[in-house]
Amino acid sequence: MAKLWAIIKREYLERVRSKWFLIATFFGPIFFAAIIIVPAWIASKSKATSDVYNTTILDVTGTGFGHRLAVNIAGDTTIPGRMPTVKAVAPNELTQAESLATRQVMRKEKTGYVVVDQQTLAGESARYAGMNATSIADMAQIKGAIRQTILASRLEKVGLDNEKMKEITFIPLDFSTERITERGRAGSGMASVLFGFAIGFLLYLSIVIYGQTIMSGVLEEKTTRVAEVVMSSVPTDTLLAGKVLGVGAVGLTQQILWIATTYILLKLREPIMAKLGAPTMNFSLPDISLAAGVLFLLFFLLGFIFYSSLYAAVGASVNSESEARQAASPLMIMIVSTAVFIQPVLLNPTGTTARVLSLIPISSPIIMPIRMAVTGVPPLEMAASLAFLAIGCVAALWLASRIYRVGLLMYGKRPTMKELARWVSYAR
Amino acid sequence: MTEYAIDIVNVTKRYAEHTAVRDLTLRVPTGSVYGLLGPNGAGKTTTIRMILNIIAPDSGRIHIFGRPSNDPKITERLGYLPEERGLYRKMQVRRVLKFLAELKGVKGSDADRRIDEWLERLSLKTPEKDWGLSKIDELSRGMQQKVQFIGTLLHDPDLVILDEPFSGLDPINSQALKDTVVELKHRGKTVIFSTHLMDNAERLCDSVCIIARGEKVLDGTVTSVKEEHGQRNIALALEGDGISGVAAILRDQSLVKRADDSNKFFEIEMAPGADPQVLLRRIVESGAAVQRFEMIQPSLHQIFLQKVGAIGIEEGMTGHG
Repeated sequence: MAKLWAIIKREYLERVRSKWFLIATFFGPIFFAAIIIVPAWIASKSKATSDVYNTTILDVTGTGFGHRLAVNIAGDTTIPGRMPTVKAVAPNELTQAESLATRQVMRKEKTGYVVVDQQTLAGESARYAGMNATSIADMAQIKGAIRQTILASRLEKVGLDNEKMKEITFIPLDFSTERITERGRAGSGMASVLFGFAIGFLLYLSIVIYGQTIMSGVLEEKTTRVAEVVMSSVPTDTLLAGKVLGVGAVGLTQQILWIATTYILLKLREPIMAKLGAPTMNFSLPDISLAAGVLFLLFFLLGFIFYSSLYAAVGASVNSESEARQAASPLMIMIVSTAVFIQPVLLNPTGTTARVLSLIPISSPIIMPIRMAVTGVPPLEMAASLAFLAIGCVAALWLASRIYRVGLLMYGKRPTMKELARWVSYAR
Repeated sequence: MTEYAIDIVNVTKRYAEHTAVRDLTLRVPTGSVYGLLGPNGAGKTTTIRMILNIIAPDSGRIHIFGRPSNDPKITERLGYLPEERGLYRKMQVRRVLKFLAELKGVKGSDADRRIDEWLERLSLKTPEKDWGLSKIDELSRGMQQKVQFIGTLLHDPDLVILDEPFSGLDPINSQALKDTVVELKHRGKTVIFSTHLMDNAERLCDSVCIIARGEKVLDGTVTSVKEEHGQRNIALALEGDGISGVAAILRDQSLVKRADDSNKFFEIEMAPGADPQVLLRRIVESGAAVQRFEMIQPSLHQIFLQKVGAIGIEEGMTGHG
């Protein structure tokens, strides 16, 4: 046990002391925060902003069109400050009015101005000039409001009475409430999908990074022949166990640091978003129970043991980094093909695909925690998933330890599959 | 103390393509310096790995100090220097050594003290510079070899196993290694090393075992081996010219069985029944100036060539030493 401890300690301390660990631990949360904040920020850019309310409507139609348009742009007139300013302008005063409005925009008193005239009434053209002219969402909002107003005017012309007309023109108002619906989705439902994605991504990343860490560690011991010295002191199984546990502990340390700092960053998310000028969203972190937390860690550890022991076997069976990359490609394919399913599983966490994938040890360490994050998983499925994964771990360890102890002493050419099979069959 | 540090009986180790060690029996007396000699691919490294319990024999048994080699207690009494050397490159020297000591069951504070002693002794720690605080890859090759050597001996093993210890050593480190081996012997430790450098073996070893193609060719104390193969050998040294005439005489199969020609120095094995005096007379008659003509025991090198040369070296067996 003292020797196992010595190996674990070395693996852990040497890695935690490395610059790479410090850099990854520091930049990880910034990266994760960016993953969460940047899409929200971009999303906020693709939505019509409050800029559309702070506009001037230059109405050259000589009708009430400008006022109606203002109401339509505002959408909800009960909220104060939403109504764009309307200016009735005589056709010969338009040039002057436009230069005045331009100056207002330049002084940042207004975002822009719309010109509506006879062509607009005919449904032919309208003009907008403003700071936000490149914002697709803002322009779509204004354009929609203009269409809506034209339609109202036409209906009025056909002779609909006021009541009927209002009834009809209120339908496009429903259109703008859909935006609110979308915001509703951005609340709890969206949060758990984001959370599930973050969990899946984190597990995927850790397994790849730490699996390869183990692989190069084993390879280093083999190429420097340190392995032989260590093997003369401890059984290979102890060496393998020490490596997996030591590097696993590094991974766990990093994850705990990542989760803690990401949590803090998320708490600071609102002020950060406000600084970026994005509207605040009612984003709440999903509540994670202690039991769920323990299960997450359990899946991480088992998944890590499964993959890292296989990575160790690969490291032991090759002689150089380039060979290792090649030989590890089947493992990479296993992990990446699991990652491919993250999105489908997030969209349909109770479907057959999700349920099957969360039973197979290859994919369950990543898929099951995602499902847990976004939906309730029946206890029986959970138990089956854990049991299969545990069996998978034992099988992987058994296979890996056999390849490991033979491979560490074999130099020269890379073994074929047939030779690998023979190594497994060696007694010792 | 048991009589034998290593007791190997009828050990065989097969790999898929070949038999690395075949029915090997050898005994290393406690407190001796023992040489395991053989060409590349003879099975030396495989034998050493089995002694260290890194690999298990297919049949036969190995006892170390009277206990089975897979006894966990035994590993702490062994020190091993592998043929090709290397250490964790990015690790601090002191931490590497402490790790190696811990693997041998040395406690932390004890390890620190020993590391200091050894670093000072091999001048890796001087008042000006403590290399113990440097990373392995900041050290020169010679210094790395010293560190590895410290790692082998840090836990004060009773049995020190050195696989090709002299390969890649500069003359200074090579001498330091010889001194250490002698010192270990004086302290009652057992040292076994493999080598194909007969010169070192002859000077250092009490006993030797020559193996080739996985089989023991001969073993015993250096003295007895020489006596056993004590055909009358002759050391001949010449001065000046006239060597060409001598060369013709040495080719006479009725007189000379084998002559090892080192330009002006020859080690000559007489043909069975041939009289050395006849040889001397003919050399003098040829006009060569004889500087030295001496009846000697054969060198290990000669015995090795004679025995292993007869068996030959199996081709394509370089993988497992």
